[in-house]
Amino acid sequence: MPPSRESIQNRGDEDEVCPVCKSSRYLNPDMQFLINPECYHKMCESCVDRIFSSGPANCPVAGCHKTLRKNRFRKQTFEDINVEREVDIRRRVMQILNRREDEFDSKRAWDDFLEQREEIIANLVHGTDVAKTEADLQKYAQENTRSIRANQALDAQEASSFQERQTQEQELARLRRQAARQEYENERRELLAGREDVLSRLAAGRPADAAAIARDGQKVLLKKSSARRSEEDRIRQKQAALRGSDARRAGQFGLTTADKAGDAGDTGLIKGLRKIKTPEPEKPYDPFGGMVPDKRDYYTLRDFYPSSYLDPIRQDTRMQAGGYDLREYYSRTLLEAFAGLGCFIDEEVSQRDAANSMGITMPVATEGAALAAGSSGPAGNV
Amino acid sequence: MIEDDFYRSSSQFRFWSYTETSLRSLRATTNAIASERVQSALRKSRGAQRSATSSAAGTPAPNHTGSDADSKAGGEETEIECLTPEEEHQLVRYFCEQIIELGEMYKPPLPTIVRATAIQYLRRFYLTNSPMTYHPKSIMLCALFLATKTDNYYLSLRQFTEVIPGDTTSEDIIRPEYLVMQSLRFTFDIRHPFRGLEGAIMELQAIAQGIGQPAPHFPTQTPEDLKRKLHALHPSPTASSTTDRLARAHHNTREILKSAAQMTDAYFLYTPSQIWLSAFMLADRPLAEFYLDTKLGGPPADPQQQGNPLSELRTKLLRTLTGCSNLLQAYTPLASDPDQKKNLRRIRKKLFHCQNPEKADLAGQKRIPAAAAAAVAAAADPATSESEMERLAKKRKLEGKQPRDIFGGELVTQRTKE
Repeated sequence: MPPSRESIQNRGDEDEVCPVCKSSRYLNPDMQFLINPECYHKMCESCVDRIFSSGPANCPVAGCHKTLRKNRFRKQTFEDINVEREVDIRRRVMQILNRREDEFDSKRAWDDFLEQREEIIANLVHGTDVAKTEADLQKYAQENTRSIRANQALDAQEASSFQERQTQEQELARLRRQAARQEYENERRELLAGREDVLSRLAAGRPADAAAIARDGQKVLLKKSSARRSEEDRIRQKQAALRGSDARRAGQFGLTTADKAGDAGDTGLIKGLRKIKTPEPEKPYDPFGGMVPDKRDYYTLRDFYPSSYLDPIRQDTRMQAGGYDLREYYSRTLLEAFAGLGCFIDEEVSQRDAANSMGITMPVATEGAALAAGSSGPAGNV
Repeated sequence: MIEDDFYRSSSQFRFWSYTETSLRSLRATTNAIASERVQSALRKSRGAQRSATSSAAGTPAPNHTGSDADSKAGGEETEIECLTPEEEHQLVRYFCEQIIELGEMYKPPLPTIVRATAIQYLRRFYLTNSPMTYHPKSIMLCALFLATKTDNYYLSLRQFTEVIPGDTTSEDIIRPEYLVMQSLRFTFDIRHPFRGLEGAIMELQAIAQGIGQPAPHFPTQTPEDLKRKLHALHPSPTASSTTDRLARAHHNTREILKSAAQMTDAYFLYTPSQIWLSAFMLADRPLAEFYLDTKLGGPPADPQQQGNPLSELRTKLLRTLTGCSNLLQAYTPLASDPDQKKNLRRIRKKLFHCQNPEKADLAGQKRIPAAAAAAVAAAADPATSESEMERLAKKRKLEGKQPRDIFGGELVTQRTKE
């Protein structure tokens, strides 16, 4: 006969009997039943203490030869031992196959992954192909330790940030409530004070002023309440802005960590994982785009060239004072001496012309003629 | 070679380098277009002249441009004889020599480089313009004045005008300036071979003193080696010592560069370093070859051997240099040849007849950009000018209030306004 729901909750079933020592709750009301996720055989706390205190031992249930350890024993969460077992398996598998949706190329791949995970869980639960599934799972776990750990960290982070946000919101709500209460108190106090003031002035003043004094009191009250209302608005806006920025920061945080989580784990088990591109290490900055600044092919520059013509300049302070450096002259003259020595105009220009006439169908001659026509045309109009 | 890429980026290489055939066809096209214009213009003016004289016999001198051409041509219906491309070329060359002579008249004489630049401007100008359209004598002065400016040799326009013989005013000189600049495609940079020659002589002197630096492709060269080879060169008949020889070669090369290189098409056909090296070859062949060999290695030991880019470059370069040398050597000054002088006189006489009458008056007309021309036209019309001026002044005042709008409103703000 299945025990009722209440009896599970308070473990108060009178008839419950430990399958190992046969002691019943009736005799021992404090009795607690424990299970071990190895074989899910139920036994009472005193049996666990008795059998497993001196190290691992076999399960005392007849026909079960699993070796159990004391530290793995825990309380049962669900009434149905099968559900308990499935939840355990699911938790373990989920911990290993903890890919996230943004790691997949497409929605389809993600769905396939989810299905595959369910299948593995079902296999383990129902005992079909257990050995192979386990082996696959272990292999995957070994190969992807890094990504598994990264995703675990991400999960933990998300959970904690969610928690944080919750507490923050609660705190804000509390503050708001408090402020509102304060507000209400103040208002009431002012109202009373104003009324008292009016009364005292009415008592002291002449009867003719009575109407004016009453009107004044009314006006003051109105003014105060409108000022208060605008103040409230201001505070509310500020809080809203604050909340918005908090949320944004949290969002950014989540995004950057998601970007960071990446590894080159590749496995046969899961298909359709997005290729993770590790950015190329940045090359040292090359300001000249591959050119060597002072590279020359025809000459090597010296710091000094003997020349009767240039030597006086070297000594001339008027030249030196202006910052003139004779090496500028050296490099310029030598560059001009060889710039274009290997340019063969008859070849290169005819090639260029051919290319031009193919592209624009405008050879040099007609271009020049057009220019001539253009330059003489407007002159005639002036 | 990295130095060659420096040159390939210059406007001289990109816009002003031609092969011999393209140069010839360009000149022929320019000449053909100009002749056609001259003929149609002359016919038109002659027709106008005739109708004017027939309708009003007593009208005094109606159209002096037409009458000029008409009286000389005898009013006959024959085709006007135009200059040929060769004649045009001769004429331009004559004026190039004039530039050199004019440069001498200044005190101190204009630097060679200024004159050379002016000559190249003139030559570039007459690639796309014909002397029949614009007479070279006005363009020449403008080109020279432009060259003093682009080469940083400052002369005020007044100083510049004073030296010029005849009654040329400063206004005459700068009038065609915009036209010249436009025809130069606003590329004022001329790469001359002079400075390159200085660099080479400088390096040769260093080699002669035993402090030469090995070329990048021949790191095994030593200064002593180079020096020894230089001194062991086949001695030149005129110079005694190596220094003397260098100085002599330098001077002769410079002379060639000043004259022959300017008066021929060398600048269009070859690069400046090829020009100075071929001139150097003309001046002292063993020395030039020695210098080239230090850079590119000697002649290959095995002529059949292929694949060495340096020796391939060398053979190709030698062929080009020979071509350039021949071109430079073929030059003879106009003044020294009476035949050429006579020919030139004939050409000038012929040009007098076939000068484009529409441009004869306007030959030196200042070329004004369209916008400015419109403004001038508006200013000339007294009715509109008043209101126009007022409008402009008002606009300027408005703009003055916002000093950041000197160059017109910002594009971005205009877009946002839309």
